[in-house]
Amino acid sequence: MAASGSWKSGSGSSMGLERMSVEQLKAVKEQADLEVNLLQDSLSNIRTATTRLEIASSALNDLSLRPQGNHILVPLTASLYVPATLHDSQHVLVDVGTGYFIEKTMPEGKDYCDRKINLLKSNFDQLVEVASKKKNVADEAGVILQAKLKQLASSS
Amino acid sequence: MASSSSASGSGSASAVTERRGIPGAQFVEDVQTYLTQSGLDVGSALAFLQERLQQYKVVEMKLLAQQRDLQAKIPDIEKCLDVVATLKAKKGTGEELIADFEVSEGIYSQARIEETDSVCLWLGANVMLEYSLEEATGLLQKNLDNARASLEVLIADLQFLRDQVTITQVTIARVYNWDVHQRRIQQAVATTAQD
Repeated sequence: MAASGSWKSGSGSSMGLERMSVEQLKAVKEQADLEVNLLQDSLSNIRTATTRLEIASSALNDLSLRPQGNHILVPLTASLYVPATLHDSQHVLVDVGTGYFIEKTMPEGKDYCDRKINLLKSNFDQLVEVASKKKNVADEAGVILQAKLKQLASSS
Repeated sequence: MASSSSASGSGSASAVTERRGIPGAQFVEDVQTYLTQSGLDVGSALAFLQERLQQYKVVEMKLLAQQRDLQAKIPDIEKCLDVVATLKAKKGTGEELIADFEVSEGIYSQARIEETDSVCLWLGANVMLEYSLEEATGLLQKNLDNARASLEVLIADLQFLRDQVTITQVTIARVYNWDVHQRRIQQAVATTAQD
């Protein structure tokens, strides 16, 4: 692709796109659309993960307010609950992935969740920025492509 | 070619069966007779068969979804039965059980389960009922048996459905090939007549 490097740079992007042939523009638009879709999927996944962590954080907060020996219904499976008492309200096991569990105190658990949420939010913001740039490129390529096709149609 | 006119009958020999609302596909032995009896031309017959094939595909998708649900449900019921059996075994020993339970996704806490005579089962639709250990075992066992029976029926339905899909696809191919064959014959006749 002749000007594939130039359209990524931003200010000179339209100049680079203008010089491209119809086939190249189609390829650029398809590529940009594909990347936008992938980024949208990633954003959706991050949003879901953030929501899950926020729920976990609020659950920890709720648990820390309950005294040890408090009566609760414990979920032993997804659909079976038994009456029990809270054994240790000061410590929790945190699943950190790949089969590893770390015992943490309540404040440490909350801190872990908050740090993960902040990390995901910063990633989310970065991805939003990248996605909007890619979308602009795709839209620009689409506009130029339409103009070129119209030009070709009128000349023939 | 797929079929010749010499074959007898149109497939009425193999009776069109039906299984739990899924219509059986008719095996076409002789395309000519089949088209005559059904009163359709080749285009209409192919369109009808394609539509039937699509219907089979839709039903297959639904059955596969049901199968996935049941295959996920059965291990869960088995797990529940194991837990109830463990609670039954611990009953009367005076031994307390320390369990790690999921507070939220990825967060676990510890609970002390003392001797208990009952468990709560989540039945769905925001309904939870308390059962004695014996009642819970009975109910879960019944649910497990029902789920396994349903799965067996579902697998049989899927097998039947796949057979019907195969028959329909073969019929489509044979009708199409027969049409091509007829066109070639007509073309040959026309060429001979011109000569």
